[in-house]
Amino acid sequence: MYGSDGFTIYDIQLWAEGLSVTLSIFLISSFLGLLLGCIVGLVRYYRVPIIGKILMMISEFLKNSPVLVQLFLVYFGVPALIAFDMTPNLAAIITLTGNTTAFIAVIVISSIEAIDFKQLEAARSFALSERLILSKIIFPQSLAIAMPLLVGLAINQLQVTSLISVIGVIDLTRVGDIINQRTFEPFLVWPIIGATYFIMAKSIERIGARLERRFSAYHISNQI
Amino acid sequence: MFDLSSMTEYVPAFVEGFIVTAQVSIVSIIGSFLIGVIVALMRVSTNKALQFISLCYVDLFRNIPFIVLIFFSFYGLPEIGVYIDAFWTGCLTLSVAVGAYVAETLRAGIINIDKGIIEASKSFGLSKFRIYQKVIMPIALTTSVRPLGSVFINLILTTSILSAITLNELTGASKIIASTTFRPFEVYVFLVIFYGILTFILSGIIAVWHRHLNKYNGVA
Repeated sequence: MYGSDGFTIYDIQLWAEGLSVTLSIFLISSFLGLLLGCIVGLVRYYRVPIIGKILMMISEFLKNSPVLVQLFLVYFGVPALIAFDMTPNLAAIITLTGNTTAFIAVIVISSIEAIDFKQLEAARSFALSERLILSKIIFPQSLAIAMPLLVGLAINQLQVTSLISVIGVIDLTRVGDIINQRTFEPFLVWPIIGATYFIMAKSIERIGARLERRFSAYHISNQI
Repeated sequence: MFDLSSMTEYVPAFVEGFIVTAQVSIVSIIGSFLIGVIVALMRVSTNKALQFISLCYVDLFRNIPFIVLIFFSFYGLPEIGVYIDAFWTGCLTLSVAVGAYVAETLRAGIINIDKGIIEASKSFGLSKFRIYQKVIMPIALTTSVRPLGSVFINLILTTSILSAITLNELTGASKIIASTTFRPFEVYVFLVIFYGILTFILSGIIAVWHRHLNKYNGVA
């Protein structure tokens, strides 16, 4: 593989570095997005006036416009407006976090609303505190409902991370581009990069299926 | 600060970009639909080999990022002697990639059809081909209008990635406008809102169409 046709041993190192950049940006933005998405979803669920509406409108636009344009907006647009020293990695994390937040918020709202309303009424009539209702009744059940959606979103967001290569983050796709430009071996480089993404997506699917089985226990036991 | 007044002279460039986006989208929607129908039929066929091939196809193209696919075709096709420009490379890759999503959506539509309807058509002595042509596909397509609509709206948003292979569609054109006017913030905010309103209008039309077609069969 290396030697004669322009590949060197360092290409493997480059690949590993790209992989770690992709994975770390994916994990950071997913974690922050999950956190913020839950907050936005709850703000909307409890009908906080004005803020809830504004947040939902912003997330509609984040969901319905290309992530690439959002990346350009954060990386080129924001520094032009407020004279801020933006690095590609920071722009990538901000954009992907915002994008993930928008999708998580919708999942949070829909999975809370999927819970039988009578349960909540019963709990409220027993004068349980709203915090207790949230942690003991809403959270376990909506997690079971949301799990398949969250796994699907994670697989999708992993693929979306590949776009950050366009603004100059040295992620897996960018590494592929660099090696491809040097070796002119598209039929070797891109299948390897593609396979790497494929294996990552399949691993998420595997882990997700296990989590789904685990959390679905809450849902079934509650229905019997 | 925020200022759009200097943008008027760039409206024609923006419109040109929009036309390219529309062209790519229409060609790719047709292409991905045709591929999707074929792959969906392979997925539900009883032939094990066809099932396996179509499953691999769907699995592969739904789990590899589009930008990797587009770089593969953009740099790979000339190597094997296929010289097509960025426009057609984009259409081809989009059709092949989105075809996988169309296939999965249609497959869901097909396997959700009431078995009684298919048995009824068999009892009338219709051939297998006729049943697919006159019963299964029309029902699957009408109940899949809305999910297929979301797939195609996603396709329109994905065309923005073609700016990475030098195609000056909406995003590529806006990139040029942003760098010549030195007003990237205004340009990209406008672009986000533009795409948002475009998808909002399209999904509204699709929802109305879906309700209209599914008036009688009780599928909301």
